[in-house]
Amino acid sequence: MNHPTHTITKKELAVFVNNLIADKTYDVVGPQAKGKRFVFDTLENASDLRLDHDVTILPPKKYFLPICETLLHYNLKKAFDAHQAAEDKPRIIIGMHPYDIIALQQTDKVYLDYQKDDFYQKRRHSTIIIGADIETVSDRSFAASMETHTTNDGYDLLLTAIGASYAVTIGTGKGKKLLEKHATTKKITPADLKKVTDKRTRLPSKYKRTVKARKEDWPKILAANHDHAIWAEKSDRCMECSSCTIVCPTCYCYDVRDDTNLNLKDGERYRTWDGCMLKDFGRIGSGEVFRKDVKERYRHRFYRKGNYIPARYGYIACVGCGRCGIACLPDIADPCDVFNDLSRFGQQPDTGRYYIRRTTKPQEKGVIHIPRSATITRIQRLTTAETLYELELDDKKPLGHKPGQFVEISVLGVGEAPFCVSSVPSPTPVFEIAVRKVGNVTTKLAALSVGDKVGVRGPLGVGFDAKAYEKKDLLFTSGGIGIFPMRSLINYVLAPENRPKYKSITILYGAKSPAEVLFQHEIDQWKKVDNVQVEQTVDRCDKTDCWIGCTGLITTLFPRVDTKKLDIRNTIAVVIGPPIMYKFVIKCLQTIGVTDEHIFVSLERRMKCGVAKCGHCQMNGVYVCKEGPVFSNAELQNLPEAFE
Amino acid sequence: MSKPRIAIFDFADCEGCELQIANLEEELLDLISIVDVVSFREVMKEHSDDYDIAIIEGSIMRPMDEERLRFIRSHAKILVALGACATIGCVNTLRNQWTPEEVKKEVYGNAKLNDTLFNIGPAKAINEVVPVDYYIHGCPIDLDEFKAVVTALALGKKPEIPTYPVCVECKKNENICQYELGNFCLGPITRAGCKAICPTHNSPCDGCRGILKKPETECVTDLVARYDLTYEELKQRCTLFNSGKEACK
Repeated sequence: MNHPTHTITKKELAVFVNNLIADKTYDVVGPQAKGKRFVFDTLENASDLRLDHDVTILPPKKYFLPICETLLHYNLKKAFDAHQAAEDKPRIIIGMHPYDIIALQQTDKVYLDYQKDDFYQKRRHSTIIIGADIETVSDRSFAASMETHTTNDGYDLLLTAIGASYAVTIGTGKGKKLLEKHATTKKITPADLKKVTDKRTRLPSKYKRTVKARKEDWPKILAANHDHAIWAEKSDRCMECSSCTIVCPTCYCYDVRDDTNLNLKDGERYRTWDGCMLKDFGRIGSGEVFRKDVKERYRHRFYRKGNYIPARYGYIACVGCGRCGIACLPDIADPCDVFNDLSRFGQQPDTGRYYIRRTTKPQEKGVIHIPRSATITRIQRLTTAETLYELELDDKKPLGHKPGQFVEISVLGVGEAPFCVSSVPSPTPVFEIAVRKVGNVTTKLAALSVGDKVGVRGPLGVGFDAKAYEKKDLLFTSGGIGIFPMRSLINYVLAPENRPKYKSITILYGAKSPAEVLFQHEIDQWKKVDNVQVEQTVDRCDKTDCWIGCTGLITTLFPRVDTKKLDIRNTIAVVIGPPIMYKFVIKCLQTIGVTDEHIFVSLERRMKCGVAKCGHCQMNGVYVCKEGPVFSNAELQNLPEAFE
Repeated sequence: MSKPRIAIFDFADCEGCELQIANLEEELLDLISIVDVVSFREVMKEHSDDYDIAIIEGSIMRPMDEERLRFIRSHAKILVALGACATIGCVNTLRNQWTPEEVKKEVYGNAKLNDTLFNIGPAKAINEVVPVDYYIHGCPIDLDEFKAVVTALALGKKPEIPTYPVCVECKKNENICQYELGNFCLGPITRAGCKAICPTHNSPCDGCRGILKKPETECVTDLVARYDLTYEELKQRCTLFNSGKEACK
């Protein structure tokens, strides 16, 4: 633990701050008055610095994850030109309170632990933090309950007001150097040291608000109250403005957009704060919205704070700053109130039930936002809406994917969207994606020609573990465009070198109408492989359609499965299709006796960043982009949001 | 790819949104480098009825306006409503609480009026007469949003218009909440996209970009009661921009 070693008079502190401002190397920011509230802003003079502030409207996260941040610049007049945005000036933040410092340390876990975020990392390294112990406690804060009212680390220097001067605690060598270069200090006296200790010890008594439930119990409280009436009662009053997440120092989700200049020549891809309370947060290209009800989104926010993030990262993602309580007009956002209400309703042991632990290795090194360029080498129209694209990576390195993994495809100026790879793993830089025209990116892709360039990030996520399926019977069920990723897996197991490793293979495939059947030619080839049964159906068939096969939903194919042939306890079932299909197909599989551990699905969500940060694909505590998109049905048993 | 042909038309309005477009100034050169503007009465004398995209400013007041609008719709592949008069009816719809006769009498007294020109019906937003593809909201429009919509259409992408309230942008601007200052702000129920320009300049939101939640929604009635306001006051507050049929959807 660091102890204060110096004192600085208020007058000398002003000189220190003005020296830093005059240095011009840094952007020096600190809390300043804005009406009756406070905001962090660039300091022009030390006299504007308000170290006695209670809390700022926005947390200093805006300096590490800017509200709007350019990720890359692109030039549409060139075949493919995407380069990284310039870095900003190094910064000194003065007056960060301990809860904000701790919130920043939490954000480090998200942005620096797995798949490091380059921009965040650079800002983090180039920023010097001069913290300040709390002098004025905000009315809404409950930081003492969260044990974030003081901190032992996370700062370069820390100031503690003691009468007419400040005690200075040195946290890092960087802080020490800064102090030596720019400030006149005195060695601290034992009397002043005691003042600091007393001040910190007495601080909790100044808090008006306390959380009755210990923060360690939050995950357990939530484990027991997923279906509690409180979520509906409170969210009935929600304005769906996401102010609570915007002002939260531990919220970090973002949206990514392309903004092209009016000349249509150049533009930038930027990210901006997004909020899980907004109704379009979970909307995917086809228009489907996950967590459609405000109740679900409202609950999601509290589960993130008190259950999902604790399971993933090991900390409670609330520092008790009270900003959400101030910002929320109907006053339903304050975790202090919600957990006090819930604490009466029991607990359940929580073993991370809403989270699936996986050790996914980061897939890409270096910058995670810049796509590799790839050339469209072949376009095959499959139906009026679906197209197959063959892409070749321009760096000539193989994609190196597994069946079931996905890539983020960029059309600069339009945006980025996730697509499962549809081709088998290959040692060449060539791979295929199949696309249904539904949103902006897919519509634009449909307008591209052979020779045009797109951006590629990936492969991302966890695919199918085809090795683990060896020596087993396989039963593949796909509906609609679920055949796109399934094709990669089927062609892999049917490849002559792999086929002997698997026992019988049954392929069930349903399309809406005969006109929407995909890859019929390939399916006919699959039928010819030894010990492969293929069954097809269409939902409906008009008199004018040419179709001699089965009609009806995908589930009508199950009676045709030759179950006698299958060693059902040793059968692997893979299901990929539209969200509505899973429940029914899984029921069929369970009925014939396939165990949940042997049922694998690939789920669709809004996988925007692909690297477990932007938050859009989250399903309970799971990031579909990192832990998925492939899951076993056994893993999904505890996730109420899996098949909503 | 040939440049899309754009025509800009106006109906009952103050032409302020068109003026915003003229305010692009040197960027007008960028605009005409990506689209052909074939009709724009406020700034040019040429006119053509051959266009891909029609941008409509203003509300519809008379049968003759409806006829003209239908003609434009039949010529345009894409129709964009520009500004609050076109998107929600705006202040024009305030007069719908009186009959056309009362309105004429109030404004013109007993003067003899031309029967065709003064044949007025209720004021309407554009989509009460013809289908609208995209909306550029606001009174006046936000120029950045206008640019984003034009760029998107030129790139063949669907423009994204916010479905969330002004509070999102207001919070990002780090403003003190208007409610905290004792003001009655429509920001919590108004569509964002204006960068919260009014509350940022210390004036509560008047709802010119359209209301996202009806005043009778439970959370809205709860909210006004919390701040010692009434449902009637809220309705009253919404009338300025949002008394049209299409204002609150």
